[in-house]
Amino acid sequence: MASQKKDDKPTAETKPEAQAAEQQQKPAILEEDDEFEDFPVEDWDQEETEAGAGAGGATQHLWEESWDDDDTSDDFSTQLREELKKVEAARKR
Amino acid sequence: MTFDSAFFNGFSYAWSSRDGYRLAQTLSPEVSTEELKATYNSTNSHDIKISVRRGLQGNAALVGGIDQDGIKGWVEVYASYWNATGALVAARESDTDNGGESSQLVWTKVFEVWTDVLNQLLRGYQNYGFEAWTIPCLYVVCRNLRAFAIKADDERNRSSVEDITTNNLQDDFDPDSSKNQKLEECARTLSRVFMICQTDRAPIEESRKWGSYYIANLLLKTYFKLNSASLSKNILNSLRASGKDMPDFSAFPKSQRVTFKYHEGVLAFLEENYVQAETCLTEAWNLCHKDALRNKERILTYLIPCHLINNHTLPTKRLLEPYPRLQQLFLPLCQCIKRGELHKFDLALQEGEDEFVKRRIYLTLERGRDIALRNLLRKVFIARGFEEAKPGENPVRRTRVPVAEFAAAISLGSEEKIDNDEVECLLANMIYKGHMKGYISRQHGMVVLSKSGAFPGTGV
Repeated sequence: MASQKKDDKPTAETKPEAQAAEQQQKPAILEEDDEFEDFPVEDWDQEETEAGAGAGGATQHLWEESWDDDDTSDDFSTQLREELKKVEAARKR
Repeated sequence: MTFDSAFFNGFSYAWSSRDGYRLAQTLSPEVSTEELKATYNSTNSHDIKISVRRGLQGNAALVGGIDQDGIKGWVEVYASYWNATGALVAARESDTDNGGESSQLVWTKVFEVWTDVLNQLLRGYQNYGFEAWTIPCLYVVCRNLRAFAIKADDERNRSSVEDITTNNLQDDFDPDSSKNQKLEECARTLSRVFMICQTDRAPIEESRKWGSYYIANLLLKTYFKLNSASLSKNILNSLRASGKDMPDFSAFPKSQRVTFKYHEGVLAFLEENYVQAETCLTEAWNLCHKDALRNKERILTYLIPCHLINNHTLPTKRLLEPYPRLQQLFLPLCQCIKRGELHKFDLALQEGEDEFVKRRIYLTLERGRDIALRNLLRKVFIARGFEEAKPGENPVRRTRVPVAEFAAAISLGSEEKIDNDEVECLLANMIYKGHMKGYISRQHGMVVLSKSGAFPGTGV
């Protein structure tokens, strides 16, 4: 009986450790709680809104096309051109 | 605040000017502990109702418009408020004394007594003829009920660490439901408040319907926290169904409209209804207070993926400038999309996976791979240049592109070699989705692209 009790102990002790690890992870998630905040005031003028403040067509500069022709000097574009040349050369052979 | 002549003067002032927000201040728990203590110590459970009744009756002549029923109702409300101040003082002191490690669940107690304040207030609307201009009282009480529920759950979860083992032995263990016990209770109470606002049949100018959006917003926030999109939908449906009986949406304060449109937009987003999501989120964005950076950041978190899917547009550097977190989140992906760097796009998506999943935008951003691929294929097309132009004619791009060239481009950067069948499959998908116009000629191993707009919407 006595030896059995000894055997029990270690298992009982490892469990809380595993839980402690679990507990440590949880606050990290709670911290990231990303809730829409209350505004400090109930209402505001049109001039204070995002659209009103950006008057003068500023909103038009917020989005751009996903493709761009200008930037062809980056590493990737250079690499791509070289790769395509290789393919073309292989075809002509 | 003590129930003295200053309090009754304040009450009568709010009453005579029908200033609901001022009246609501008298029910706010968001005051210093000293003030709460003063309130609690100013009277006792025996005297509170008598002194409030006497005070209100004494001022009734001054005020006008408050009848015996009304007085009865407000006496109950203030008595329950006084009772709550006691619990609140105890909870705050326990927090400072023990650093939140109390043996008793003090915040659960606060939640319970504060629920009583709300119930007394609701009784006022249902039985004692409280008028609609007083609904800011409901705002203050409901908002704090939710805050107390969260504190109560938090406190219980921290103190019941040892219980987890016993819970694990159960057949069916749902950690979330017990974790948010009070918040769920709060949600049920709030939905009752919402119904009481919604079903008011008084003429619109004096209807509790004016409270609908404030309470709806509190409920939506609560359901979001409880991860229940379906319950959120019920709120939207209920507001939609009563649309014509409601005051015009534009008549509500901007804070309420922005908050509502944000949640409506995110819900549409989660249902992959990106067009509606964009409409709602754009409205929220336009109306949002320009200095509310954190909220603007939240709106953009969902608006950016919407733009990517709907219009294939990306945020400019200027747009992201004030938001370092968003830059970190989106800039690497955006650059890969622009350049058509397929392999790096996959890496960037993997890199940010945890963050994207947590914000529930992963699956949407994954669809941005199509745009990256489109841009890559477009680059191959452009790199092939023009046919030899006949004199007097505009140069024409070489529209016959070997599949092998596309294959090489797609494999670029990746260690793995992609076989031709897979490449053809990707190309067919691009054609099917309308990103590319043309057909695949298998026996020649060629893709023949349209001379007029091979990549619609991109200038070539």
